[in-house]
Amino acid sequence: MGNYYLGLDGGSTYLKAALMKEEKVVDTAVYPTGIDNNGTAKKMVADLCEKNGISRNDIGYIIATGYSRKILEIADDDISEITAHAYGVRVTAPEGYRPGMVIDIGGQDSKIIYLDANYNVKNFTMNDKCAAGTGKFMEVIAQILETTIDQIGPLSLESTAPCDINSTCVVFAQSEVISLVARKFDRRDILAGMHLSMAKRIIKMMKKSEKGGDILMTGGGALNTGIHRAFEEELMKEVYVADYPQFNGAVGAALIASERGGR
Amino acid sequence: MAEPSVIKERQRELFIRKSTRVAASYLRRAKELSDMPDAAAPFFDVLENTYVKLSDIQDPEDRKSIGTLCVMVPAELIYAAGARPVRLCSGSYTAYSIGDDYIPRDACPLVKAVMGFGKIRALPVFDNCSLLIAPVTCDCKKKLAGVIDTVKNTVPLHIPPLKKEDADTAVFLKELYRLIPILEKETGQQVTAKSLAEGINLVGNAQYEMSEFMKYRRHAPALMSGTQVMAVMNAYAYMPADLWAKQMHRLNAEMQLRLEQGHFVSRKNQPRILVTGSPIAFPNLKIPLLIEEMGGVLAADETCMGERGLSDPVSVIDASFDGMMRALASRYTKPCTCPVFVDNTQRIYRIKQLIKDNHIQGVIYHVLRGCLIYDYEYQLVEEAMGEMDIPIIRVESDYNEEDVEQLRVRIEAFIELIKLKEYKKEA
Repeated sequence: MGNYYLGLDGGSTYLKAALMKEEKVVDTAVYPTGIDNNGTAKKMVADLCEKNGISRNDIGYIIATGYSRKILEIADDDISEITAHAYGVRVTAPEGYRPGMVIDIGGQDSKIIYLDANYNVKNFTMNDKCAAGTGKFMEVIAQILETTIDQIGPLSLESTAPCDINSTCVVFAQSEVISLVARKFDRRDILAGMHLSMAKRIIKMMKKSEKGGDILMTGGGALNTGIHRAFEEELMKEVYVADYPQFNGAVGAALIASERGGR
Repeated sequence: MAEPSVIKERQRELFIRKSTRVAASYLRRAKELSDMPDAAAPFFDVLENTYVKLSDIQDPEDRKSIGTLCVMVPAELIYAAGARPVRLCSGSYTAYSIGDDYIPRDACPLVKAVMGFGKIRALPVFDNCSLLIAPVTCDCKKKLAGVIDTVKNTVPLHIPPLKKEDADTAVFLKELYRLIPILEKETGQQVTAKSLAEGINLVGNAQYEMSEFMKYRRHAPALMSGTQVMAVMNAYAYMPADLWAKQMHRLNAEMQLRLEQGHFVSRKNQPRILVTGSPIAFPNLKIPLLIEEMGGVLAADETCMGERGLSDPVSVIDASFDGMMRALASRYTKPCTCPVFVDNTQRIYRIKQLIKDNHIQGVIYHVLRGCLIYDYEYQLVEEAMGEMDIPIIRVESDYNEEDVEQLRVRIEAFIELIKLKEYKKEA
């Protein structure tokens, strides 16, 4: 039995993998999900093995999470992304983070997970069938403003007067952004406004009854420095960003794999 | 009336094919969950007759069907007039998509389904109701009562939004008196003190069997799948109360036998979940099925197609005709925990009581899209659950199958979190 463990996170936009050994992340990989989840996952695992000079047999156990978790044949078992993300935080949370709230912004959904002091899930909320508080929304807006998803964060940080964007729906917000463009607003201000509107929307999902601990951001969305700042401004609190935020779910799945495989 | 056009006829055929398939698949999935008590089969047959075989109510007595909506129309009064009530609140996805053309987008799917049946004329239990009594409850039902009148003879029934004061009950009592001649005209039979007492007895028997059943439903581990229980309670809508009570009596006997033999359908570590919120009307058993397919036990519900409509018998203190009418007016407003009432704090007490009695470990709060009144009360319920350290999630859903995967991940994660919580508690 191998002493490596693998977590696969089959998201709506990207397929992520985390290879772990003794609770340390050895390597990560991210591939666009495409239409063949299963084929992509197989290739990804093969590539990871080759890159790290190990064989498939060195991997003791594989756990899948994310939307395609049930169809990834290469995995030994699967777990919901809520549990996976909560586990991932044990490894990805930066120094000094006291477990409390995790804000995860993914490609097609965003969620808030509440942890107790021992990193156990106490509760969670997820957005509904709607893309307004998600990575997809960022992509759409970036496209309208002729920039890329990795640039919207830094650009928005240069804003001095963020615009107001009120729409809660991605389609309506899109037309609102288009009308702001037509009125010659600076795109940096539009982006800053968009981040604030997203942050407000996600904050609305938070449960008022859950208090205590710090706030941590995970998911691909956490790579966006603009949304990070918007959260800090809106919550008036320090918001931590996880190490390898995009791989948090995969890391969590790998940790669970090591628990199950070790049994 | 003009002959139905070819397009209409074609639409009706497609409708029947699709809606019977959906209903049959939900019945099959519910039956397959765990070994179903034999005595539950007649209830499933009723749902199958209604939604798959498209036949009318099976009733040995020749009575007229009177359609009702919500849980505020006194069934006792309808039986007293020699008719049988049929509750037409539906969970049909196919009828919903028909009704969507006649009802504004943001209205709830339940009223769309009712309107859909009104338009399509494919469900005999609906079509054979000569009259529809539509309580004026939430905004969606209020406006439905206005528009469904075009396809079905409808009597709106005013429900006072306040219920604490005697004056509020007096308003409703007046409404119930107004209903009597309307019902009498429909059936040609008089509502007498004797027939009203019989009606109260008839429904009371069904409620008694339900209260007996509640004792078995509380049992941990479970004696029967909660989804199947929801189906049994939904069948009440399409069964005369005496027949339902008779079959329920048999089911209770089988539950007792299962209890004595230790015949359980759940294991110790399966989280016990309560569902509350918007109605769970057949065939829309999506949420109960997901809970139990993902390893939870649906151990209680606080919903109007479930226990709410079937608990709290009418308590007659004064056996005069007016005394019985007063008892009805009181029964159909005061203990009712529908959020349509302005002050509904008793719903919280009811949920807390169910959590205690039925050993509940988590609450799933069901919100149908457009169902504002339940969404309003989520905050209060969430706070109360926070104080009790009972996890709760809100799931929003609609009458279609496209959101099943999103719902599945929420419910699966919710069950995982309860399992983990209990596991840590034991360790």
